[in-house]
Amino acid sequence: MAVCYHCGLPAPESTFSTEIAGKQRLFCCFACQTVCDTIHQAGLQDFYQKTTESQPLAPPPLSLIAASESQFNAYDSDAVQAEYMAELATVRSLDLLVEGIHCAACVWLIERALSKLNGLVKAEVNLTARRLHIKWDNGQLALSQILQTLANIGYAAVPYETDLAESTLAQRNRGLLYRMAFAGFAAMNMMWIAIALYAGADEGGFRTWFHWIGFAIASPTLFYAGFPFLRNALLGLRHGHLTMDLPISIGALVTYFYSTYVMFSGSQIGDVYFDTVVNFLFVILIGRYLEAMSKREALSATRRLFALQPKLATVIKENEPMSVPISAVHIGDAVLVRPGEKIPVDGLVIKGQSGVDESMLSGESQAVLKQVGDTVIAGSVNGEGAFTVRTEQVLRNTVLSKIVDLMERAQASKAPIQSTADKLVPWFVLITLSLAALTFWYWFAVGGEGEKALLAAVSVLIITCPCALGLATPMAIAVASGVAAKRGILIKQGAVLEYLSKVTQFVFDKTGTLTQGKLTVAKIQLGTGLDETQLIQVAASVEQQSEHAVAQAIVAAAKAQNIDLFEVTDFDSFPGQGVIAQVGDTGVQIGTQTWLLERGVIISDKHIEQCAAWEQQGVSCVCVIQSGNVLGILGLADTLREDAVDTLSALRQDKVTIHVISGDKQAVVAAITRDLGELSMQAEVLPQDKSEVVSVLQQQGEIVAMVGDGVNDAPALVQADVGIALASGTDVSAESADIVLNQPGLHKVLEARQLARQTLRTIKQNIGLSITYNVIMVPLAMMGLVSPLVAALTMPISSLLVIGNAARLRRFNKE
Amino acid sequence: MDVIYGLLPGMLLIGALGVGVFIWSVRSGQYDDLEGDANRILFDDESEQVVEENNGKNIEK
Repeated sequence: MAVCYHCGLPAPESTFSTEIAGKQRLFCCFACQTVCDTIHQAGLQDFYQKTTESQPLAPPPLSLIAASESQFNAYDSDAVQAEYMAELATVRSLDLLVEGIHCAACVWLIERALSKLNGLVKAEVNLTARRLHIKWDNGQLALSQILQTLANIGYAAVPYETDLAESTLAQRNRGLLYRMAFAGFAAMNMMWIAIALYAGADEGGFRTWFHWIGFAIASPTLFYAGFPFLRNALLGLRHGHLTMDLPISIGALVTYFYSTYVMFSGSQIGDVYFDTVVNFLFVILIGRYLEAMSKREALSATRRLFALQPKLATVIKENEPMSVPISAVHIGDAVLVRPGEKIPVDGLVIKGQSGVDESMLSGESQAVLKQVGDTVIAGSVNGEGAFTVRTEQVLRNTVLSKIVDLMERAQASKAPIQSTADKLVPWFVLITLSLAALTFWYWFAVGGEGEKALLAAVSVLIITCPCALGLATPMAIAVASGVAAKRGILIKQGAVLEYLSKVTQFVFDKTGTLTQGKLTVAKIQLGTGLDETQLIQVAASVEQQSEHAVAQAIVAAAKAQNIDLFEVTDFDSFPGQGVIAQVGDTGVQIGTQTWLLERGVIISDKHIEQCAAWEQQGVSCVCVIQSGNVLGILGLADTLREDAVDTLSALRQDKVTIHVISGDKQAVVAAITRDLGELSMQAEVLPQDKSEVVSVLQQQGEIVAMVGDGVNDAPALVQADVGIALASGTDVSAESADIVLNQPGLHKVLEARQLARQTLRTIKQNIGLSITYNVIMVPLAMMGLVSPLVAALTMPISSLLVIGNAARLRRFNKE
Repeated sequence: MDVIYGLLPGMLLIGALGVGVFIWSVRSGQYDDLEGDANRILFDDESEQVVEENNGKNIEK
């Protein structure tokens, strides 16, 4: 089968082909063709030898290739660049966030392509963070040229601004890495001492010397590397909840102080356990570090998805449009909104008109016509027309920000999720302490030996060392998050994995989640003369000139059926109403009924009734008119995602109840969800009430997962026990969710749930393993039979078992 | 065996130096991108094939 020469996707009978290096090559799309051509012309064709088959290229976004230079020019102004760098010297450096970097070959291509630019000082790609660090001479080279070069070879890039939350997180991770490194060094050196002591040194003259060295290594390890555990345990105690850090701290402190006591008292019966303290902290720190790493990767991947949206606005000053950062727009400024742009501010339209997509806020999938005097909301997306807005609210005061505030408030009031291990911990601590007390009492009162009693009691505390229990959850979650990330499921909060498998109620948003969130031709009614194919052929020929969502839907319908289009002339469009053009010798008009009636076209009652009936169900109608005759009516509606039916029925088999909520009208929601089987639906829910729906379910004792994509879903995503956001959604929804699906498709929800179930099983096995270990060892310790050698052997074995069991999750396959 | 009184502190000192070097390497950003540099070292400056092609073009001109 023919495949695209650039990205390797199937390209059967593709119309895109060009001569590359002397041979005719096929491409799947125009973007691939252009990018491949550019790469060859620049002499960088080695790129294709470096790509690996396991990580296929993705076709570059078409918008990138079509991007005009003026789009990047905005970044050349000093006012814009000042947002991203400390000083505006001649040689400037900047971090760019680059979308489309997927493997090492991309690193090579980007660095090689940029190095050919005059005036570029340095270009270095960070493959892990998908970031590009550039340094250039602003006198010789403009930033827009760099961005243009990247666009030509298929990468979208925008300046990147580190935010406070991310840099704090990075700093904390770095601190954890230092502590882990120190504990690792201590553990290595401690082992020599320990081996010497086990081998007999504790009976000779070196006993005290070895003890002192052990003390010297263990002290900084406990109080520096182990500091986070001690602090968290203390904080937990003060707030009255027992976390895993408490038994870890008790174990480490008891072991340490007991060993110190043995060392100073010169007791000949007791043994020092400094090696246990050090190795124990090291192993636990590894688990914590892995967990922190996977969390950070998920967070930065979500941020990357959305930081790519330019944060610029075009302000008109003295009749000159000028690009400025959004933060520099003031109330009263006139802002120009170009076709396809995101509206940057709340305001009033003062010039022009256009259809605006407000679905992320209202949940309504259809574009709303905005004319002079109408209000527009920041965050909504402009359609095919351009207009000017007088700014009324900016930044924190926009409607969008108010929803974000609502979400943040919900987030703050949400109780932290308790993992299974956390629930066991208080019992574990209680049992350990009482067993130790019992042991001490038995040996002291019954046996009458003070020192022996103390030794036995302490060895109970040491042997129940919660090492394995402490690793049980973090290891499993770290491995599962890694596996999930490879499959496009970003888990921002590991603990929700446990919850996801217990969810009993799934709440789905309609627009953009269950449906594709864009229009398709759903219904066709024929008028006179033509069959369906011919009707679409005529309509698509005219509409191919337009950028409107309706036009794109009609053209897509023609493409899907492989219909060739006619040449058209004299095209003209009336934003929000319709289009006209000449096909051959005859004039064709496509548009809304009202507009056509105004233009004097006669439409029969039959057609008008049909339209009214469709519009009841949320299907919007356009009529196709040729020389005064109605050729037919096209009904356009948002359609279900392809995998919606399968996903929902699979969930239902899992004994999950499904709810659909939407801001749309009852009839519309009913029409769309007709094929989805049994579910409860709630229509006409206002954005602020969506979280209410979720909390009502929670009050009935259900565990609720919310799947959504829009800003209006954000508060509900936070309120739900598990919030799942779709990647096609908005940054706000991704920020508020616990899990973000990086690839389109609802079936990822199922996959996440299966992975969650497997993770929970692993966690339970791990807890089982560590409890088994304790059941065997604790009686031995109570009898006073545990020698340091036995302890030193069994403790690492229990940890290794837990780690090995968690690693099995790597082989997760979709059931 | 008295040498042990000197050896052990010596060992700790060298170990501590190792930790110091590690912390320096983390600070200087060497752990920020583990994948990129691992691959970058394998890239040739320019493959012979390309050089030949370029030479060929030059001759044609």
